[in-house]
Parts: sequence; structure tokens; C-alpha cells
Amino acid sequence: MIASGLRFGGVAALLALGIVFPLVFTNPAVTSDAIYTLIFVAAASAWNTFSGYSGYISLGHAVFFGSGAYLTGIATLDWGLTGSQVFLLLPLAGLVGAIIAVPFGLIALRVRRHTFVVITIAIFFIFQLMAYNLQSLTGGTSGLLAPTVNFAAATYNNPFYYAALVIAVAAVAVSWLIRRSRFGLQLRAIRDDEDRARGLGVRTMRVKLGAFVISAVPVAMVGGLSWYFTGLIDPSSGFDPLFDVAVALMAFLGGLGTVAGPVLGALIIEPAQQYFQGQVSAGYLFLMLYGALFLVVILVLPRGVIPTAAEQIGKWRDKRREGDGGLAGHRLAAAGAAPDRAKELA
Amino acid sequence: MSQLPQAITDGILGGAVYALMAAGLTLIFGVMDIINIAQGILVVLAAYLSYALSVHLHIDPLLGLLITVPAMFAVGAAIEWAFMRRLRGRERTAMSLLVSYAVAVVIEGALYQVFGANDVAIQAPYVNSGVHVLGFDLPYIYLIGAGLAVVAFAAIYLLLYRTTFGRSVRATMQDKVAARLIGINVNRVAAITFGIGVGVTAAGGMVFGATNAFSPNSGYDLISRLLSIVILGGLGSIGGAAAAALFMVTAEEVVNIWQPVWATAVYYAVLVIVLLVRPVGIFGKPEARSS
Amino acid sequence: MTLHRTRFLSVGITAAVLSAALAACSSSSSPTGGSHAKSPVVIGASLSLTGDFSADGQAFERGYELWAKDQNAAGGLLGHKIVLKFLNDASSPTQAVANYQQLINVDHVTFTIGPFSSLLTGPSAQVAHRYGYALIEGAGGAPSVFATKLNNVFDVSLPVAASTLPLINWIASLPASKRPKTAAFPTSNDPFTQPQIQFAMARLTKLGVKAVYYKVFPEEPTQIKGIADQVAAKRADMVVLGSTAVPTVQGFTQAFIQAGYNPKIFLATAGPDQGAAYLKAVGHLNNDGVMVPNAWYGGSPNPQSKKMVAEYIAQYGGTASGVNADVAEAYSVGQVLTQAVNATRSLSNAKIIAYLHSAVTLSSVQGPVRFDSVGENLAATAFVFQWQKNNFLQVLPPGAGSAAVEYPKAPWGK
Repeated sequence: MIASGLRFGGVAALLALGIVFPLVFTNPAVTSDAIYTLIFVAAASAWNTFSGYSGYISLGHAVFFGSGAYLTGIATLDWGLTGSQVFLLLPLAGLVGAIIAVPFGLIALRVRRHTFVVITIAIFFIFQLMAYNLQSLTGGTSGLLAPTVNFAAATYNNPFYYAALVIAVAAVAVSWLIRRSRFGLQLRAIRDDEDRARGLGVRTMRVKLGAFVISAVPVAMVGGLSWYFTGLIDPSSGFDPLFDVAVALMAFLGGLGTVAGPVLGALIIEPAQQYFQGQVSAGYLFLMLYGALFLVVILVLPRGVIPTAAEQIGKWRDKRREGDGGLAGHRLAAAGAAPDRAKELA
Repeated sequence: MSQLPQAITDGILGGAVYALMAAGLTLIFGVMDIINIAQGILVVLAAYLSYALSVHLHIDPLLGLLITVPAMFAVGAAIEWAFMRRLRGRERTAMSLLVSYAVAVVIEGALYQVFGANDVAIQAPYVNSGVHVLGFDLPYIYLIGAGLAVVAFAAIYLLLYRTTFGRSVRATMQDKVAARLIGINVNRVAAITFGIGVGVTAAGGMVFGATNAFSPNSGYDLISRLLSIVILGGLGSIGGAAAAALFMVTAEEVVNIWQPVWATAVYYAVLVIVLLVRPVGIFGKPEARSS
Repeated sequence: MTLHRTRFLSVGITAAVLSAALAACSSSSSPTGGSHAKSPVVIGASLSLTGDFSADGQAFERGYELWAKDQNAAGGLLGHKIVLKFLNDASSPTQAVANYQQLINVDHVTFTIGPFSSLLTGPSAQVAHRYGYALIEGAGGAPSVFATKLNNVFDVSLPVAASTLPLINWIASLPASKRPKTAAFPTSNDPFTQPQIQFAMARLTKLGVKAVYYKVFPEEPTQIKGIADQVAAKRADMVVLGSTAVPTVQGFTQAFIQAGYNPKIFLATAGPDQGAAYLKAVGHLNNDGVMVPNAWYGGSPNPQSKKMVAEYIAQYGGTASGVNADVAEAYSVGQVLTQAVNATRSLSNAKIIAYLHSAVTLSSVQGPVRFDSVGENLAATAFVFQWQKNNFLQVLPPGAGSAAVEYPKAPWGK
């Protein structure tokens, strides 16, 4: 029970830190970085809820980001919303993301593996082209500029920060709940062996589609928030092919299919990317360094930070217990539990 | 409707160039099971190599292939040896996506560093001239591209299905452990296959660089189109990729007559619709890849 | 269950440490604001050194640096040495916004100057506005930028819509028998090019020039040859191409040559103004007679411009025709800032904004600058330039300093 208390304490401390952060670090440049980081915490967690748990690597989640952004932009400008009113649109953006995810999923989830990856890219590009070409709706290449917001300059970022925090916490909570649920178990059974899962009675299409739709919601919501905070959405930044690569990278770095992995990945990668991308003094060497750093990390930690760290700590503990005459077999039993997961489904 | 024959001609010519660029990807992506996001930037790297040889050493781009193809082969084998080989386990395919993306970022940075950000194009006497047949202008560079594509696809086909090495490749890709047991050097086979896949790209890069102005940024537009071609043709199907390239680009060119802004959407819509009807692609074999 | 506990705990700690470290890094590097006597004055900009605008971004960087070097040699700003601080936005508006936040709140720059393209200028101007900064810029002239009616944006360059007017007036001056009879108007899907092409098409139709082709194509077309072949098949006397960058012009040029089509007039809205970068892409034999509208060119007789061009060549090599017009746009931004600082005798953004709105006429390498209430330059004049035998010449409007128009344009490959 002590350990469970510790975990609760850790999560509570992290939450408390998230809440007081903009009150302690008031510099707008810092909170601005924090907002984009939280946006990616939400997006990476949501992406992982589908791709990490089911093993279907989606490179099309930018569709939800862009759709959420455009919906928020169009609604704000059409209805003449200002100030804090715009935040009320974010749940609507999430709903639209979910609605779009249904036909998208029904089409894409018929195929697996490589073909799934490429079909998500194809659908993504169709959406990007719609943003370019439906000019009366989307503003075409110029995009949609957000109205000037009259928040006080010193605390301007705070409402955006807390909105991002709420969405991020909700996305992580959903990810946690799913991982502990029967639904999550079914998803991981699909990842391990889809045909076998189906044979065991898992309604695979329904489960995959459910996860796909759920994972679209936070992504669409942060898309809307991003439009309002950045002040602009255009087809190339709204439907950005590198969005999904970045999100996948975060999930992989932290640990694909874990709850905390994508969170940690986003906390590391988004600030790092902001920093590396901004540098100009060393020319393009920074770009090369950024790529090289990732190569090293991926090769050294192929399973991501969280699973690798957990394994190391586990080994260390076992060793200590062994020294105490404890049960080393306990860990082995835990490690061997995963393949038996399918049995629990019946 | 005099534009239609012209559009179809352009589609076939442009499709041949895409087929040439996709030839290497059918090996890497279709046979080796690696999602090589770097293929786009490798095309651009090859184009820059041809460009540099032609500008600084005055070596004709076509002749320069004698240098760029082996050079790109070495680049490919090195990428396989240094990175791809180290990926294992269930997430291997997905990890290959991230690793190749990181490789692409490094190459992009290096190209910016060496060549700068301005667009360049490969100049050669046969780029702007051509033959006039039955009222169509057929530029030599596109004919060269089509010829190289035929050579590349024929070579890959013969290599895979008519040689001992090809048997080792296919055996390796089907079952690594079994291949090793019957005495195949699995690592060497993988490095050489990857090398060939990237080496063929040298030809695609040369023709791409002669028919388009390009910069280090050009790789991003290419990769999704090339992946689509290989998927549409059916994974592992050499002929399928060639047919898919011709089909996709021709469809795009025909739409260009009326609505150029929707042409690319049609390109991807064709992919989505075909996969709805035939999830394994046009020429893919259903049993070729399960799970 | 042990596994899970460990995970959560370690993440919690790591994340906390990371966030704190990040915040500490960001806030500790902030110098104290305000200007001590003769301390340097830091001027910040976000530039696109990678991504879609990287070629322009690089030219802008050179323009800004050239200005800072010249101004420092002349004593800086009110005796303060100018230090430029650039951040790369990789052509992304999100990063540009983050960069201006960083420049203003962490680097505490005294002034901000503009990024490349209207796309990035729009949201960047809002950030600058929030903190009371002026944003003097040279490449954000699309209507969307001025539509926000922010009082702190000043575009020193030419407003775009009527840029082809000199060419249209010249065609009107020709006897009817010599005027082109037909024209094709392909344009990219872009807020810059479309107004220019629609303006040109409406005016030329009035002059009796028949529009035989008008179609919008994607901003970065993947199959330019197909579109260009459709244009070439029309065999129009003139082509007005709405292009934003070199690759599009190169694609059309190559397809026209391959199709054996040589219009009498070929004007592209952007691309041929990129100097050496343009020549490298289309080749030295394939530029003769190609026109482009702009406010500035390397051979401009303006004495300030001559000085800048000489310095540019001394530093980067090449010829006057090879200097990218972006360099002059960036340099003009610096010049306008200098004049505002000198006139107000202050480094205050508020005073500078008020001064630039006072309808004064300033000078720049691109010519006179006078701003209206939303920051458009009303005093800019449009020219049309033409490549003739690898030289970039001003041909229109006709008059002193103008070369004769090459009409019809010479065959390709000469």
C-alpha cells in the first residue's frame, strides 16, 4: 500500500506542478513553450491510445488536428466569437473529430500494417487538398487568421495554458482507463495477433474503430486550441505531414503502448525541437544533430525510455531481493504474463 | 478534346519517371518490410550528386550514373548496416519508419549545408530537346527515364526470381531463422538488397533532377507519392509498382485538363478506392503477407 | 503491479525535473531590459532557414545583415551598436509565433523586424502587437495581413495587385495591329498571385486581348509539365504566369521549350526576380525575354541601391543581376527603421509607430516609402523587368533608365 500511495502522490505532485507552473514561471515565452508541449502531450497520448495499444501505426491523425482547427476557426469567425467564448468551441471540435474518424476508420481499418500506414497518409492528403481548394470555407492558402484577443499581455497565455492542461490531463486519464479496461486488453490482443483475437471472440473492427474515434477527440480539441493560440491556421500547418511523425516519435521514445511513455516523450521532444529548430547560428548543423540524436536514442533505447527504465529498476530490485533471500521468480512470472493475456479475454 | 491525348502522353512520360523513382522502393518497402521514409530525400541526394558532377566536373548526368549508382549503393548498404539491421521484434516495421525519418533529417541538413536552400536543376542537351511523333512532343529526357525504368524493373525482377541471390533474398524475407539454418548470410543479403534499392534510386534522382527544379526540401513531397505507388501496385509486386505509377500519374494528368487543383486529390482518392475493393493492391497476392 | 508503480513514479519525477530545468534555462538567460548608455541594441527576427521558404529566408538574412553592417559602420542606431538576433521558424507559423515570443520576452530585443511571407507575418504581427512592438517588414503584403488593421505593421514593399500595370499600359500604347491577340493566364493557388493575374486578365481583356486559358493550379504542383503542356497547346501570343517561386517558372519554361512553344510575351509574377538562383534553375540559355514585375532590381540607378549592390557583390560574389530582390526588401526594412529612430531620437516602439503613421515619406533602396493607416506602402512604384542575354533590365515603364522591351521575346536556347 505504500507504493500505491507513492504513485498517487507522484501523479498528484505532477498535477500540482502543472497547475502552478504558469504562476511560478510567468515569462510568456516559457508558458508559450509549455502550451505547445501540453498540446503534444495530449496528441501523443491520444495517438498512443489507438496506435500504441492496437499496433496500427496511424500517420493520419493530423486530419483530426486540422479539422479541429478549421472548425474552431470557421465557427469563431462566422459567429463572431471573442475572448474566452472561443474555448467553449473546443468540445465541439472534439465531436467533429470523432465524427470524421468514423468513416475514416471504416475505410482505413479494413487493411493492416504497411497498407494501413499509407492509406492514412492518402486520406490525410485528401483533407489537406480540401483545405487548399475549398477557399470560401477555409480561406485557401492564406488560411484563417484568428481575431485579436484582448487578454492582458502579462497573463495572456494563462487561459490557453489551462485549456491545454485540461485536455492533456483528460487524454492521459482516458488512456489510463482504457489500458486498465477489458477494452484495452482487447486492443492489445489485436496488436499481438489480430486473427487469434478474432478467433477468441473479439469483435475486432468495432474495437479498433472505437479506439480510433476516441483517439481523434483530444487531437481535434488541441487542433482548435492551437489555431486560437497561434492565431493562424493554413493548409500546410494545419494538415502537417510531420505532425504524425513527431507524435509517433514521442510515443516511441517514451514507450509505445504505455500510459506514461507518450507524456514523457512529448515533454522531452517538443521543447527539444523548439530549441533545435530555432537555432540559426550554427547553420544546418543543428538539423543534422537533431536527426543524429534521435538515431542514437532509438538505437540505444529501442523500446522507449519507460519500459527500458522499468526493466532496469526491476532487475536491480530483484537483485536486491535475491540478496535478501527474496523471490526472484516473482518477476519472471510477471514477465511471462503477457502472452497469456489472450486467455483473460474469454 | 484534343487535350486528352496530350494529357495521357504526359501521364505516361511522367509515370515512367515515378516508376523509376519507385523501383528501388519496391525492394526496400515491398520485399524487405521496411517503411523507408528516407526514400524521398535519397532521390534528392542522388539528384544533387548528378548535379554536382555535371556542374563541377562537367560529367554528363547520364554518364555520371556510372559513379552515382555505386555511390548510392554504398549509402544504402551503410544505412542498412548502421541502423536497419539493429531493429528487431514486433515493432520493427514501425521503428523503421522513425529511423528512416531521422536518417532523412540528417541527409536534409547535410544537403542544406553543402548546396544551400536555392532550387537548382540538372542541365543537359537532351533535357530540352526531343522527337516529334504523330503530333506529340516526346522529350528525350522522359524517353531516357522510361528506358531506365524498364532496365531497372527488369534487372530487379531477374535478380529476385532468376538468381541464387534472389532466392536468398526471398527466403530471408519469408523466414529469417530458416534462411540462416540453410546457410544464407542473412545480414549480407539484407545489406546488399537495401543497397540495390537505394542504388537504383540514383537513376530516378538524375531524371527527377533534370525534369524538376529541386532543393533539400523536395524530398517531403515525393515520399508519400512513392509509397502510394508501391502500395497500389501491391506489396512485393515489381510489375504492379510500374503499372501503378503509370496509372496514378495519368489519372492526375487527365484531371489537370479541367481542375489542376484537384489533380493530387484524385491521385490519392484512386488509391483509397482501389484499396477498398482490393485491400492487397492491384497485383498483390492475398497470401503474400498476413498479419 | 510493481511495474506500474515504478513507471508512474519515475515519470512523475523525471517530468518534474525536466519542466523545472526547462523553465530555469529559459528564464535565467534573460538580461535586464532597458538601454544603458551605448549598450548594443538588439533587433530580432524569425527567418525561414529551412522548409518551403528557405531560399527566400536565406536572402532575407543576407539583406538584414548587410544593413546592420552598413548601419554599424555609420555609427549604429543613435550610437548603439546593432546586434541582430535570428531564430529559424522552418517556414511554420507556429514556430514563428513561438520565436517572436522568445525574442520579445526572453531575448528582450529592442525591435522586431518581419519574417518572410504573408503567411508568417500575420500571426507574428499579433504577437508583436500584444507587447507593443512595431513590426516593420518587407515580405508580408497580402491583403490578409492588412485586413487585421493592426497599427504596428509596416510593409516597406510594393502592394501586389496592380504590379503588372506598366506592362498593360505599354501594350495599350502599341498600335492595335502589333498587340498580342491571345493570352493564357495559369496561376498558382496563392493569395499573392491570384489578385495579380485576375487584375491583368480583366485589363487585357478590355484592350481586346482574348483570354484563351485561365486555370488555378496547386501552389506546389507535382506535375507541372502536364499543366504547362495544356497552356502550350493553346499557342497564345502571351503568357502571364502566376508563380510564387523558381521551381514553377522552371517547370513551365522547360515544358514550353520541349513543346516548341515560344510566346511573344512571357511574364511570371515571381521567380525571375531571384537573380542567380533563377538562372541556375532554368539555365543560362533559357531566360531571354522573360519578364517579372517588381519594385526593385540589381541594376537600379538609386544611389543607395548601387551602394548596397556593390557591397553585396563584394561579400557574396556574382553580378548585379544575380542579386535576389528579397535582399533589397530586407535591407529596406532596416533603412526605414533607421530613419524612424533618427527622426524620433528614441528607441521607443510607441514613438516609432506614431512616427511611421504620420504620412512622412522615407527613402529606401526600393524607392520612396509612405504608409497608410494599415501599413501599406503607398509611395512604391511598380516596374517590369526583363531578362535580356543574362542581364536583368528594367524595361517598363519606359523612360530614363529603362532599356527597350524585347518584343517579341527571342527564341529559347539562344
